[in-house]
Amino acid sequence: MAVSTGQPPAAGESARGRSRRHDSPGRLRRALSSHWYAWAMIAPVAVVMLVLIGWPLARGVYLSLTDATEANMGRTIGVNVIPSTYEFVGLDNYLQILTSGLFWDKVLWTVTWTVACVGLHYGIGLGLAVMLNRELRLRSLYRVLLILPWAVPAFVAAFIWRYLYNSDYGVINGFLKVAGLSGVGWLDDPVTAKIAVIAVNVWIGVPFMMVAMLGGLQSIPAELYEAAEVDGASSWQRFKAITLPGLRQVSTTVVLLGTIWTFNMFPIIFLVTRGGPGSETEILVTYAFREAFTGIRNYSGSAAWGVIILAMLVVLAVGYRRTLRSQGDPW
Amino acid sequence: MRRLLAAVAVAALTLTATACGGGGGEAAAPTASVTDPAKITGELTWWDTTRPDSEGPTFQALIKEFEAQYPGIKVKYVNVPSDQAQNQFQTAAQAGTGAPDVIRSEVAWTPQFASLGYLQPLDGTRAVDDGSDFLSGPLSSTKYNDKTYAVPQVTDTLALIYNRRLLKEAGHEEPPRTVAELKQAALNVKDKTDADGLALNVDSYFLLPFMYGEGGDLLDVQSKKIVVNSPANVKAIETVADLINSGAAPKPATTDSYANAMTALKEGKAAMIYNGPWALSEIYQGKEFKDRSNLGIAPVPAGSVKAGAPTGGWNLAIYAGSKNIPAAYEFVRFMTTVKAQAKIAKEISLLPTRTSAYADPAVQDNPDVAVFKPIMDTAVPRPWIPEGGQLFQPLLEGYQSLVGGQATPADMLKKVDEQYHGIMKDWS
Amino acid sequence: MTPVTRPRGERGPLASIGLHAGLLIAVAISLFPVVWLVLTSLKPRDSWLSAELQLFNDSSLDNYARVLTSTQFPQWLLNSVLTAGLTMVLGVFLAATTGYAVSRFRFPGHRSVMWLLLITQMFPVAILIVPLYNLMAGLGLLNQIPGLVIAYMTIAVPFCAWMMKSYFDTVPVEIDQAAMVDGLTPFGTFWRVVLPLARPGIAVTAFYCFMTAWGEVGYATVFMSQEDKRTLGVGLQQFVGQHWSDWGLMTASAVLIAIPAGAVFLLVQRHLITGLTAGATKA
Repeated sequence: MAVSTGQPPAAGESARGRSRRHDSPGRLRRALSSHWYAWAMIAPVAVVMLVLIGWPLARGVYLSLTDATEANMGRTIGVNVIPSTYEFVGLDNYLQILTSGLFWDKVLWTVTWTVACVGLHYGIGLGLAVMLNRELRLRSLYRVLLILPWAVPAFVAAFIWRYLYNSDYGVINGFLKVAGLSGVGWLDDPVTAKIAVIAVNVWIGVPFMMVAMLGGLQSIPAELYEAAEVDGASSWQRFKAITLPGLRQVSTTVVLLGTIWTFNMFPIIFLVTRGGPGSETEILVTYAFREAFTGIRNYSGSAAWGVIILAMLVVLAVGYRRTLRSQGDPW
Repeated sequence: MRRLLAAVAVAALTLTATACGGGGGEAAAPTASVTDPAKITGELTWWDTTRPDSEGPTFQALIKEFEAQYPGIKVKYVNVPSDQAQNQFQTAAQAGTGAPDVIRSEVAWTPQFASLGYLQPLDGTRAVDDGSDFLSGPLSSTKYNDKTYAVPQVTDTLALIYNRRLLKEAGHEEPPRTVAELKQAALNVKDKTDADGLALNVDSYFLLPFMYGEGGDLLDVQSKKIVVNSPANVKAIETVADLINSGAAPKPATTDSYANAMTALKEGKAAMIYNGPWALSEIYQGKEFKDRSNLGIAPVPAGSVKAGAPTGGWNLAIYAGSKNIPAAYEFVRFMTTVKAQAKIAKEISLLPTRTSAYADPAVQDNPDVAVFKPIMDTAVPRPWIPEGGQLFQPLLEGYQSLVGGQATPADMLKKVDEQYHGIMKDWS
Repeated sequence: MTPVTRPRGERGPLASIGLHAGLLIAVAISLFPVVWLVLTSLKPRDSWLSAELQLFNDSSLDNYARVLTSTQFPQWLLNSVLTAGLTMVLGVFLAATTGYAVSRFRFPGHRSVMWLLLITQMFPVAILIVPLYNLMAGLGLLNQIPGLVIAYMTIAVPFCAWMMKSYFDTVPVEIDQAAMVDGLTPFGTFWRVVLPLARPGIAVTAFYCFMTAWGEVGYATVFMSQEDKRTLGVGLQQFVGQHWSDWGLMTASAVLIAIPAGAVFLLVQRHLITGLTAGATKA
């Protein structure tokens, strides 16, 4: 990052920066002069991320190896002096989490939740995007209406849905009763509660996926389709041979991002069910938050949870990257 | 880039500076009594946790009176929702920046904050005016390790709140006094009217009257024992399960349980509910209680041992890192005077914490407060320990699985017991 | 689908009906909760949880009047607009430069940068809040809109940089090369040639940044404790407490909140359908 403050070369020099070969001695110097441009472009982001996430993350890794809690981290507040008495405990925090019975239950549900949500987001989002990408009457109206859920802030959406699901006074049960059926305690039973939270998250997440896909579809040159039609390809063939490959860049990105995003989706679960009934709908993040942040905060425990979640996602991302590379993607 | 580095350096300096300031500056200030309180100056931030629309105005009016009496002090009123205040205060207090000078702290938070060193000890300061006047239950919640860390502001407990018309139609002129009578009355209501008997709220706090009634409790603080899995508590939970299974109480929703139970009562769909004085203003808005005299309030029904409901309420505490501690003392003192408590009781029916306040004509004229006073006398103080707030989540999860039919009363308490041992490792 | 090929843009009547039916169902599902929100906002304050299922009872705009006059809604709205607007502009700019650099320049570390960005998203935000608060307190950024914007950057930019990278990847490199041959600087190429071509991607990321900041409550609640610095999300939470709630105010303000978000979307959505169209790619 420090390199970004290097003196910019003259405009003419940089114009051909990429193709130029310098004779100047020293690899670093050469790297500097040929790459300063790229580095300058990413520097602001890198700096902000490093300070705001990197530092807390590094500290979190350290804390996770101690027994630090809100009670034993030293501090002085006015007349109260609290000595620092936390100690290094090695991997105890990790062992404690990994050996607790609930952990693996939560992993299983978190994975189910992530796969179901991302799968539905992607499938529905792509389907709608393809439909909207056709020449169609009222196309922009459809598009705006379908995107509306995105304009409702997530926490408001969570409240609306909780209200729709309400077992005694909710609209969904209201309609069921009008139809002569008995109401369902949507959020009171573990199975329906799980379906219910997935439905809320799908409702919230589809518009983003749809728009991202639509953006991707728009950048597929129309000439490709025209050529395929001339060659007599059916619409399914066109979809398989042009649309899917054309969306590949965007798809691989949004699926990966969506997975990480859903895996750590705190607000929906927290606001819709608060993890209930019991702790059935609790995913790893909400569970970790509750374990570590109710009452006297357990900083070391929460950090260990964070690192475990991070590790699981890193493994996932590395696997994903490998798979893509083996299929010839330049990742 | 350079500027950013400079900013970081400056920030680091400020951090050290505030840390030093926090350590040295205030330490000297505290108890030295000021000869003329009116001369104290400063700007106080107060985090209030009341309902902004119905309760907030009364407190803001009190602030106006305070500022008139202490022209040198300005009070910044910030309303923080009660379900967020605890978390936010912890975050701000540990950082040493952004915390308020005075916080309205729930009784269960007070020992927790005190144990973490966030609160200013108040013994012998002007914040506490005639400590012996306070009711013993609320007062006990302000103590931690024999020091006083807060002043009780309002208190509350649970009561049986009922719809007189529905009970009368079911043949009951008087509210039930025991849990057995409660079940019978509820079943009668169910048979003879088109309403249900009892609306349950699936929340740990609302289980406590049943446990206390059978002589049970969550913890035995004296001998540091976890007693949640006791025969008395099993009996209490069986009673609750029986209320649901027999139809005396319809199967409650576990999400939005409170709102659903309250709606059922307000709309005349249920005849009885357990709730506290904070709920009255909302209940009176319901269509069944446009005529206020239709609402009955009685002590919680007794179990086989006694009738008992938990003590709740709110205290005023001062952040130890406050820059305006003398002014904060005066503010806390002012807000807990008989005069202030009487105004609060009169306007928004919150129960005073001072014995002498109940003799005030303004308090006696408020029928709700008059009804709650004798109930308050039987309220059971909860275990005031720093971990107190953590005890509710396991119990709530257990209650939800009981209602959902995934656990029997004995299973439920066994699991809660295990989780309590995980929270309080050095308890037996 | 009919196997018969037709010129693009034409299809059988059956297919058309299917298309419209599919979209109508999707619209119904996506709109229902929103419609219900609007209906609730028109009801008197305490009838939201009512035993009777009624579509219209005593409809009125009372709740809207109350939101606008007796709460600090206008102040919150201003704070939110500033925060979300700044986040959007800065976020798109930073994400675009980063995404472009990684998409086009083969500099040492061009791969690891993106993966590092991704890793920052893997550590749960809920757990980051306390250390981040301490950091913000140290930098003097609490209760400051720029502070909140910086915090939102950490959420929005990594995602957006990834998305922008994949959109830039679909813009043929020949276009850059042609521009450079014409004498443009790398930045000039990026700014004047490639960026306009990636407009659909920018539209998506802009709206994403805006909505991230607009609807976020976790950071905002903790970092903006002063009453006059609160954003909409934080302010709204005052209307629904644990043991009481004012759904009239809550729903009316939720509707009011969705309006600016909708407006921003209308502004950017135009660019969704332009971008790489006829001929632009032929370098």
